[in-house]
Amino acid sequence: MTESRIAIRAAGKRYGQHQVFQDVSLAVGSREVVAIIGPSGCGKTTLLRTIDGLIPLTEGEVAIEGAPVAGPREGVAMVFQHFGLFPWKTVYQNVAYGVKLAGASRAQIAEKVPRFIDLVGLSGFEHHYPYQISGGMQQRCGLARALAIEPRVLLMDEPFGAVDAQTREILQFELLRIWEMKPTTMVFVTHSIDEAVLMGDRIVVLKGRPASVHEVIAVDLPRPRARATLAAPRFAALREQVWGTLMADARKAEFEVAR
Amino acid sequence: MSEARAIPAPEIAAATGWRASPLAMKGIAGVVLLVLWEAVVRAFAPAYVARPTGVATVFVKVLADPQFRAAAAATLWSVAQGLGISLVAGTALGLLMGRVSLVERGVRYYVFSLFATPMVAILPLATLWFGYNADARLAVVVFASFFSITINAADGARSVPGEYLEVARAFRARSVATLFDVVLPASLPYLFAGVRLAAGRALVGAVVAEFFISIPGLGYYILFNSRTFKHNEAFVAVIVLVAAGVGFDVLVNRLAQRYLPWARRA
Ligand SMILES: Nc1ncnc2c1ncn2[C@@H]1O[C@H](COP(=O)(O)OP(=O)(O)OP(=O)(O)O)[C@@H](O)[C@H]1O
Ligand SMILES: [Mg+2]
Repeated sequence: MTESRIAIRAAGKRYGQHQVFQDVSLAVGSREVVAIIGPSGCGKTTLLRTIDGLIPLTEGEVAIEGAPVAGPREGVAMVFQHFGLFPWKTVYQNVAYGVKLAGASRAQIAEKVPRFIDLVGLSGFEHHYPYQISGGMQQRCGLARALAIEPRVLLMDEPFGAVDAQTREILQFELLRIWEMKPTTMVFVTHSIDEAVLMGDRIVVLKGRPASVHEVIAVDLPRPRARATLAAPRFAALREQVWGTLMADARKAEFEVAR
Repeated sequence: MSEARAIPAPEIAAATGWRASPLAMKGIAGVVLLVLWEAVVRAFAPAYVARPTGVATVFVKVLADPQFRAAAAATLWSVAQGLGISLVAGTALGLLMGRVSLVERGVRYYVFSLFATPMVAILPLATLWFGYNADARLAVVVFASFFSITINAADGARSVPGEYLEVARAFRARSVATLFDVVLPASLPYLFAGVRLAAGRALVGAVVAEFFISIPGLGYYILFNSRTFKHNEAFVAVIVLVAAGVGFDVLVNRLAQRYLPWARRA
């Protein structure tokens, strides 16, 4: 077995008195896609930030490629829930930002940036500013910026949260295709059960106050996954399983209120 | 039905009437003002007091006068130089203040106190340090403009959205790079506001300095001509100063529209 690329050990994060999550342990393999799903406010973004090294943990540790994470590191890219595009930069300049900082040469930038803009379907909008494009397009721009550094670890916070259903599907399959060409480590947060099942090798359900890993569901759907996967009976079964896990306590709470 | 239509009709007419007129109104107001001024001066004031027809007669002659031109050039050049110095130094200090709490804590009160200090008050000191010369004027211009730029730059740097800084960190930008790539551009709308404020103060500073130091410049030109009862000539210099101030404001606005299109969204 290959050594896990991301190793999260007994991780916890506290803000003052507020314990956001605790005792989170998770190992992600080098070619593995892990989906994190959980109710709003349970700490998914916070967990992703600690993996990227943007904020420190208060307990436990995260290691990437064997070394403890103390700050953002080379080869790890993040797609933000808030997009984080620079309003004074055009789409082209935004996508080029990470590549430039990664030390790419002028020629590499000129080759990569248009390629990844094309990949996310933003060709023709290179010279638009973020305020001139829709929320979904901004999100795709943020995705292109992260993909362009060709990371070994890709962390994505609701990468398709702001795009319409059709575009979302296109981008999901596009991302799957990119992954098939060059399998890397992907950890992504989503609110969509379908997306989690379609893309993930495993689905981590975060739940509780403070949140912790409630369940890890292995997705045994064969790869490459395609549109047909969505119609597979196994897909529907997994979907139900995740739904049941997520809703179990919600129903219990409802029941308690009713009593 | 016909009634319902008949009622709003005059309102629309009135509204469009108003909408079409601002330019005309401005023109009419201006003419009325000039006529009033002319009439009042003619009726009550001695002949040497500036009035529109008098200013108009000397206007071209004054603009062609080499001495006047030299004075205008001296003042405006000093203002430009002073603004340039303040822009570079004030931006640097302001951005550091906004981003480095040690710098902020160290200089905050000095910057705000000096911003509030009337520039006229430091004039005698400036002449002590620099002498009765153009350097003293430049010093006053810098003093007048530096702190408004610093304070605005600091405000801008302080209010850079955390998301941008998070992105910069995630992509492993060094802090110096982030200062130029993120903090400076994010602060530009504030900086532009600061520069507009500073330009007005710089003009005042230059003119006041010339009054006090008596070196060639528009301020001194105004003073000298007023004292020698050439008020019309003096008034031409006032017009040039106003034009410079307004012109600079328009220029900054244009630049902002051209280069900060993203800053216009609310
Ligand atoms: N800087 C902070 N200071 C204090 N509390 C914070 C901070 N950041 C996050 N929190 C708290 O941590 C909790 C988890 O926030 P987080 O953004 O990680 O949730 P999330 O699971 O990503 O939610 P969503 O699905 O809505 O994006 C929230 O209750 C939030 O108030
Ligand atoms: Mg979140």
